[in-house]
Order: sequence, then C-alpha cells, then structure tokens
Amino acid sequence: MRSRCTDTLSSSLRARSPFVCRACLRQNSQKGQSLPLITYTSRRTLQTEVAPKVVPFRKQLKDEAKKKRLESVPKSSKKAKGSDPKLEKWELTVGIEIHAELNTAKKLFSSAATSSNDAPNTHVALFDVAFPGSQPHFQRGTLLPALRAAIALNCDIQRKSTFDRKHYFYQDQPAGYQITQYYEPFAKDGHLTLHSHDGIDPSDHPSIRIGIKQIQMEQDTAKTLQQPPSTHLLDFNRVSHPLIEIITLPHIHHPATAAACVRKIQSILGSVNAVTAGMEMGGLRADVNVSVRERHRADDARAGHSYYGVRGLGQRTEIKNLSSFKAVEDAVIAERDRQIEVLEAGGVIEGETRGWTLGSTQTRKLRGKEGEVDYRYMPDPDLGAVVVGEDLLHHLRNTLPMLPDETAETLVDDPGYGLTMKDAKTLVTLDDGDRLDYYLDVVQMLRQHMPEDLQSSSKIGKVAANWVLHELGGLLATAGQPWTANTVSSTALASILAHLLQRQITGRTAKQLLSTTFYGDTRSVQETIAEENLLLRPMAREEYEALARELIDANQDMVKAIKEKGQRGKVMWFVGQMVRNGEEGRVEAERAEEVVREMLDVKA
Amino acid sequence: MSFLREAQICIANQTARKSLNAFIGLAGGPTILRKAEAADTQRDGGPLHGRLIAVKDNICTSDLPTTSASGILKTFTSPYDATVVKKIHHAGGIVAGKTNLDEFGMGSHSKCSYFGPVTQSNAEGAEALSAGGSSGGSAVAVATGQCWAALGTDTGGSVRLPAAYTGIVGFKPSYGLVSRWGVLAYANSLDTVGILVQSTQHAKVVFEAINGYDEQDPTSLLPSTRARISESLSQRRRNSSLRIGVPLEYNIAELSPQVRRAWTSALEFLRNQGHMIVPVSLPSTKRALSAYYVLAPAEASSNLAKYDGVRYGTRAEGPDGAEGVLFSKTRGEGFGDEVKRRILLGAYTLSAEAIDNYFIQAQKVRRLVQQDFDRVFSLANPLLDGGRTGRQDTDQAVDVLVCPTAPTLPPTLESLEKQSPVEAYVSDVFTVPASLAGLPAVSVPFKASQRGEGEGQEGNIGIQVIAQYGDDNLALDVARMIEETRRT
Repeated sequence: MRSRCTDTLSSSLRARSPFVCRACLRQNSQKGQSLPLITYTSRRTLQTEVAPKVVPFRKQLKDEAKKKRLESVPKSSKKAKGSDPKLEKWELTVGIEIHAELNTAKKLFSSAATSSNDAPNTHVALFDVAFPGSQPHFQRGTLLPALRAAIALNCDIQRKSTFDRKHYFYQDQPAGYQITQYYEPFAKDGHLTLHSHDGIDPSDHPSIRIGIKQIQMEQDTAKTLQQPPSTHLLDFNRVSHPLIEIITLPHIHHPATAAACVRKIQSILGSVNAVTAGMEMGGLRADVNVSVRERHRADDARAGHSYYGVRGLGQRTEIKNLSSFKAVEDAVIAERDRQIEVLEAGGVIEGETRGWTLGSTQTRKLRGKEGEVDYRYMPDPDLGAVVVGEDLLHHLRNTLPMLPDETAETLVDDPGYGLTMKDAKTLVTLDDGDRLDYYLDVVQMLRQHMPEDLQSSSKIGKVAANWVLHELGGLLATAGQPWTANTVSSTALASILAHLLQRQITGRTAKQLLSTTFYGDTRSVQETIAEENLLLRPMAREEYEALARELIDANQDMVKAIKEKGQRGKVMWFVGQMVRNGEEGRVEAERAEEVVREMLDVKA
Repeated sequence: MSFLREAQICIANQTARKSLNAFIGLAGGPTILRKAEAADTQRDGGPLHGRLIAVKDNICTSDLPTTSASGILKTFTSPYDATVVKKIHHAGGIVAGKTNLDEFGMGSHSKCSYFGPVTQSNAEGAEALSAGGSSGGSAVAVATGQCWAALGTDTGGSVRLPAAYTGIVGFKPSYGLVSRWGVLAYANSLDTVGILVQSTQHAKVVFEAINGYDEQDPTSLLPSTRARISESLSQRRRNSSLRIGVPLEYNIAELSPQVRRAWTSALEFLRNQGHMIVPVSLPSTKRALSAYYVLAPAEASSNLAKYDGVRYGTRAEGPDGAEGVLFSKTRGEGFGDEVKRRILLGAYTLSAEAIDNYFIQAQKVRRLVQQDFDRVFSLANPLLDGGRTGRQDTDQAVDVLVCPTAPTLPPTLESLEKQSPVEAYVSDVFTVPASLAGLPAVSVPFKASQRGEGEGQEGNIGIQVIAQYGDDNLALDVARMIEETRRT
C-alpha cells in the first residue's frame, strides 16, 4: 500500500535539505549558469507491487565463501567434468557484456560531482533527475578514462560517435530512457589475450584471443534503497555516473575462461586508471550470453544463429547482473548444463533473460521473449556527435600506463628482474598492484644500497621477489592479515636484503629480522643487527669442515643413501643440520653446502 | 502613454476577455502594476522596459506554475527560470502570466488543454473560431490586448498558425538562435521559441532581447557560427529589388479561395513595389507533413517518458506498479487523448519492427526538404560545409519564399469536432517544411482587398515569409512590406 509521508514536521524538515549539492551548484555558478536550489515540497516515496530481493554485498561474499567450502569436498566430481560425454557432444559459447563505472569527477551530462558514499541526493543536477526543460551537457572530461580503456583493449577509436536514447520505464531511470551509444559507439573491434596464467580453462592453453565488438559510453542508474514492505527510496547520486559497456564477441567456450576474461578486463581497466572500483565494490557488473551447439554441427556456418560475424551459434539466453567472477563462472556452468538438458530431452531453448542468485545451482527465468522490452533506440536530438581528434589519441597512447601483461613480461625479460612468469604475474595481480609497487620500491632501494659491482645483478630482482611474495607473504598468511605496505616498510625489507646479499647476515638471521619487524619491532634493521650482535662473523674453511665431519661420522646411513642410492637431495639435510648446530648467525648455507659436497664428492 | 497606463489597460482586457481562456496563470494585477509603476520612474531600461510579456505555459518560470496544459503537471512549479524568461527580465520586460496551449504543444487549435480550450472572439452571435495552436493562448492574449507581446513555441507551426488565425504577427526564428533551456521539450530537434506580436517592428524588438548563445542549451548556435553568419550576410550585395519565390507545390487543391486570393494579392503588391516574383519548385513538400508526423511524435514519446510522478508532477493514487505496468496509472490519468495518441504513434514508429520504414524514412525526407530549400535560396546554407550543394544558378535563386501560413481561414470550433485527428494535422501543411529545415519564418496578417461573391465566411489570413537559415532579419523585412498593405 501507498503511504505518502504526511508527518508535517519531519517532512518539512526534509523539504529544507538541499536537493542539489551546494558544491555542484558552485561549479555551475562559476560557469555563469545559475541553478537555483531545488527543494522538495513533499517527500515522495515509490511503491511497486513486488520488492525485488537484493542481497547485501557482504552477505553475498559470505554466501560465496560458504558455497565454495561445501563444493570443495567432492572435488573429484569437478575434476571429472573434462571427460563429461555431454561436453564432448555439446560446445558452449559465451559472450560477455561488462559495465564499468568510469573514474571521473563529473557526471556524464551535468557538472554535478560523481560520488559513491556521500549522503543520498547530494550530487544531483536538474538534468540528472529529468526536470522539465533541462538539457544534457556532455562533460568532455569523461571521455579520457573511456578512451584509455578502449586503447588498452586494442579498439579502433571512432573519430565520430553519437548518443542514443534507450527507453524503458523504471524508478531508477528518471528520464524514462538511458543515454547510451547504440548506433555509433566510440570504440569498435578490439581484443584482449588471455594466457594460461590468467586462469583460463586448460583446453584454451597457452592463450586465447577474445574479440571485443564495441565499447560504448552510457549513464548509470539511480540506487534504490528498500524500505520494506513496499517503499523504495531513491538515491540519485549515482544517476548519470559515466559507465562504459564493453561487449565481447562470443569467442569463449569454457566457464573458467569466461571468469578469467572478466577478471582480466577488470585488471586492465584498473591498470590504466579508467575505473573507480572493481567488481567486489560494485564498480563492475557483467551480463553473460550463453548458448550451446552440437560440435559436429558447429562447422556448418549456414545453420543456427549468428552474432557480428560469428556464425552457426545456438539460441542464446542472457544472464543479467553478475557481480563476482565466481558468479560468472557458476552461472555459465549452470546455464550450459540447463540448456544441454533441455536440448537432450528434445526441447527448444527460448531466447530469454535469466537471473542468477548467489549460492544457487540454477539460473532462473526473469522474462521471456514476449516480455522483452523493445528499447526503441532513438538518436538523442539534443546531443551532437562526439569528435575525437588524432592529437588527443596520440597523447593518450603515449601516456598510457603499462598494462598488466606488459609489466609481467618486463619482469620476466629484463635481466634486472629475471622473474618467472608465475612470480611476475602474481606480483602484478596481488592487492590491486600495490604489491608490485612495493616490490619495485624494494628493488630500487636495493640497487642504491648495493656496491656498484652488484647493482645490475639479476639476483637482486629474484631475491626481492622471493622475499616479497613468499617470506613476507608467508608471514601475512600465518597472521591472517591483509596486505598493507606498512607492516614491514619497503625500506626495512630493502635493508634486510642488502645485508643478506652482501653476506653481512645469514639467511636465517634475515628471516628472524623480517619476523621481528613484522610483529612490531620498531627498531631499524641496522639497530637490531647491532644490538643483537647479528652481524655475520665468517667461519673459516676449517671450522666448516669440522662441523661437517662431525655430522658425517655420526650419520653414516645418510652418507650411504647419498652415495649408493643416489639420493642427492639428502645433501641439503646435512646443510640444514650444520646451520642448526653451528654458532647462531654464523653458518652460511651456501658455503656449508659447498663443503659438504666436496667432502662427500657429490657434484651440484 | 505611461507603462502604468498600458499595464492597466492590459489587466482590464485580461479581466474582460477571461472567457477566451488565453491564460492558465496570471501574474496578478498588483504585482504587474507595481512593476509598471517602477518602470515609469526609471526610464532607461532594456528594450522591453515596462512591457507586459505573456509566456507560453510550456516555458519554465520559477514564480508561476508551469503546467504545459497537462494534468500531469497541473500543480508543477519549476525550480528555475528558462533562459528566455531571464532574458525578458533582463531586458526590463514584465511577465504578465502563463498562456494556455495544446497540452505539451501537441495540437493546432489550442483545444487540447487540461484547462479547457482557447477561443478567439468573433463578431457578436457568430460561431466561436479556432485560435490556432498550439500557442493559441499567446496569440489571443496579444490579439485582444491582454499583453504587449507573447512568447510561444513553434515545433511545426505552433506560433505561425495561431498568429495567422488571430490576425497578428508570429515569428519563428532559425532553430538554435533562441535558447531552449527551460522550454519543455515536445520534439526537441524542431522546437523553437517564437514570438507573437502586433507588428513586425515589435517582433524585431523582442527577437533582439531573446536571441543569443546559451551554453546551457547544447543545440544553441555557437558564437563562432553566429559571427560567420553575420559576416556572410554583411558581404551580400543587397539589391533594393528582391527575388520573391513562389513555391508551386503550395498551390494545393485544399487551398481555400480566400486564402489563394490573399496570396496572389500579396504577390501582386510585392511586384508593384518593384520586386520580382519567381515560381520555384519544392518537390519534397508533399512528403514533409507525413515526415513531420512521424518525427515529432517519435521525439515526443521519448521526451514525455520522464513524466512518471516520481520526482515531480501529479501522481495517481495507489501503487505505481498497478495493472502490471510501472507508472501506467499516473500516465494514463495525467495525459490527455492527443498526447496519448502521439506517444503511441511515436512508440510505434521507433519500435524495432517499424523504425526502418517510418523513423529512418522520415529522417531521409527531412534531409530532402532541407535540400529543396537550399536549392532555391540564393544565400548558401551557412550550416553546410561549403554551403553550395545543389543550388541553382544565381539568376534562378530567390531571396525569400512567400506563401500562405494556413490553407484555410480559422475553422469554427464546432467544425473541428467532426474532424478526424489526421484531418486536423493538414492545417500544418505550409508551416511544417520550414520547421523541418530549421528556417526562419514569419506569419503576417493580410487583408484581401476585395471579397469574392458568396464568401460569407470571415476570418484572418496569414501570409508566410520563409528565408534561408540565419536570414531572419530579411524574413522580418519582407513581412514588414506585406504588413504595409494593411495601412493602404
């Protein structure tokens, strides 16, 4: 039932709160435009018959984690899917549409500020809420992150693009239409490449190229806040926040690859500073188009449906509004299995829109073809074409930050780093790139601290990566702490590693130093080494030999295993024992190994 | 006469002519008189100093409601003033009130209003005549002395047609010269703020006050383009003898004999003044009306989607999602029949199954109509690159076109009741082409010097002058010549 608020006191107080943000107004008046303050004459609430269920994001994350735990038990069944006879008969095809909130200061068509956590309805201009007589003012600055994204995704930037209206009625859409780019989008025909380390399905190894049909700019909608049982409060701060919609071609054939594609697009958008937040913060949303076809018929290009040059496709369904990578993967699996089941039972797939609830195992029908909205696309008569000059593109291309793949390749190929692809990729993807920044800081400081002859050694890069990822990472995992760059400052780690690399402390000492710093020792590394007397006093060759001899004599069975059975790995057991038995902080593992090998006559 | 005296006469007329229903909201006697009195004491105001200007009720004012004659906005007051309203204030004008119209500008007789139809006064005992539409309220207010001038909006003839029917001057400037910020959109690629006045001289005064670039209107003509246009106009060698084009396609069978005679008289008069009459062909004219009635409703269906009662406006009782379709109750109750008809028409022509056959085709016709005009005018269209596409030899080209504003005299309101909606659309046949091309056009009253046998019907006739884009002043100058005939 409708319940218009008639509580005079509270509603009159509400009426005085500014509807248009004062800061936004100042921006306007500075430009010589004067927007008066809009105030509400009464509080309006919106009622719909059925309140759609919205799951809070934290709950969603919990649900996903719970589901994952439950699933992880019968892992064997998951492994077996590769040999599923149904999947040998049926081929899955997936195309993805990704909506990403652009990182801009202003809305798409007004000078109101963008915001994410401000008080509701504090950043709203007249046009944003479709006041009669108001008109759009395209904010040119919003083009920059959009263009960076399109360049990073290898698109052809269109010199001229236009805006169209997409019509449908919903309370979060004030004008009754969304302004988007339907007929002439600003970017077309791009692609991205997914590699093994991106988490694609093994059958796509070593890499797969996914085409991008187009990228368009468009407006976001308002936020609806549920007030059970039937009231919806509307927050127009988000309305007209600039979005880009990225539409991939149906080049994806595996659920894991679909998830990897979304993850990679998020990572690329983040690296070029095009978006505000990732999927986990609601900055990215995905719709997936799913179809299956019989493999032996897939080559018959004349049969079936086609999409932008991709032919012979099965009837697709669209699953809307997926808000995590896991949801993308799970929804694709569920919809693939549903379609196969329907087809094998002799049924027909209807072109329809479906939904996915977290934690479920099935997609559900939202509306059928008969319920599809005809969006009645129309060029917006108020908005002229957007024309992008070659000089701007040139500038953006030259100043584009390095993409994740390029960074990883540099870390592998540059002898100053010399990392494995696995470590490089891990550094690039961890903690939104913060771990990489930390690593680069450590390497740079190490190079400054080291004597000249060691500065260009690839040892620096490798050792630093090992300590940033594995030693420090291990401490974080044990303590159950999230990453911050302050737990152990990059200066502290660089200082520890400088001592280690110059053989001023042993590896064991270095680990201890890292651990004490991690758990809150505020002394500088230098101080700790001095106060605890940790500086390496190198042992003489004779001392090493004595230490080794003692162990060899006492453990003849181990010697036998090495010499007669060829268990050469046991050499390291002796090294470990020497480090443990020797004087604290004096035994260097490398030299110990050297001595043991010589004495046992085992080559490295 | 003092401004106070002038205002008092207008207010007296407003009271005496209340039954004509020209106004939806009046500024109120005391307010107006106070301002007029103040205007008398400080003489050096702007060009509209102390003048009473009525404003069509689809133009936003913050001190009076803006209803657009719709039930859905019957109690709506805009939080801001339209740019043209600010310009009137700035020029010293006094807003007299908000005038009645066809709901959202959709109509040709000002009878589709939530606040009741506008009528124009007629001889004692005779039938009530159509005031024309959709700016009928503005036209009647000026024609009956309820204000000095009025603003209207012209999408397909909504300023020129009522001006013709009520015997005053109606001027639609080139699209993009006058700001639309604060003007409720009907079909925004066509909507133009226009002027209704007693004389072409007044039209020039008001035009100068409201013409100008506005960065809040994204379709406002840029200062650089304006400069380019006035540069090219100043270079034109202006002969005292003009070449007046007569579009042959406008001589249609439906043209009433009185109107045809007025047209020929006007042309004769101009020829006697030393100008040359040149027959020209505008072959796309026949398709222009159909194209207009595809494009305008399409844009209307989009522009009116915002009226859902959620953020402003009148809202139906009960849940918004009643009957399964969101906002259908609010929109069903809030809009009148003609608005619903055009929204449906527009929604259909934009639908996936129809857009290629209707909306896209109509856009092509619109382009052809523009090309027709560019071919006959001696002045190149300043908005086109090079501007010379397809134009005839200069010796065949014309400076302006002169034709009737409407095919008939104003019909009686009674006769309109028998008309189908499509028949009503025919009254826009001569005004729509200039709208599609965005050209300046003036309707000026013309009294035929003699009356034919057996033509008992009476009423005003408007002659329309159409000029090339940006050549607004020439259109007004030629209209002024035709205006002279009233004094002879």
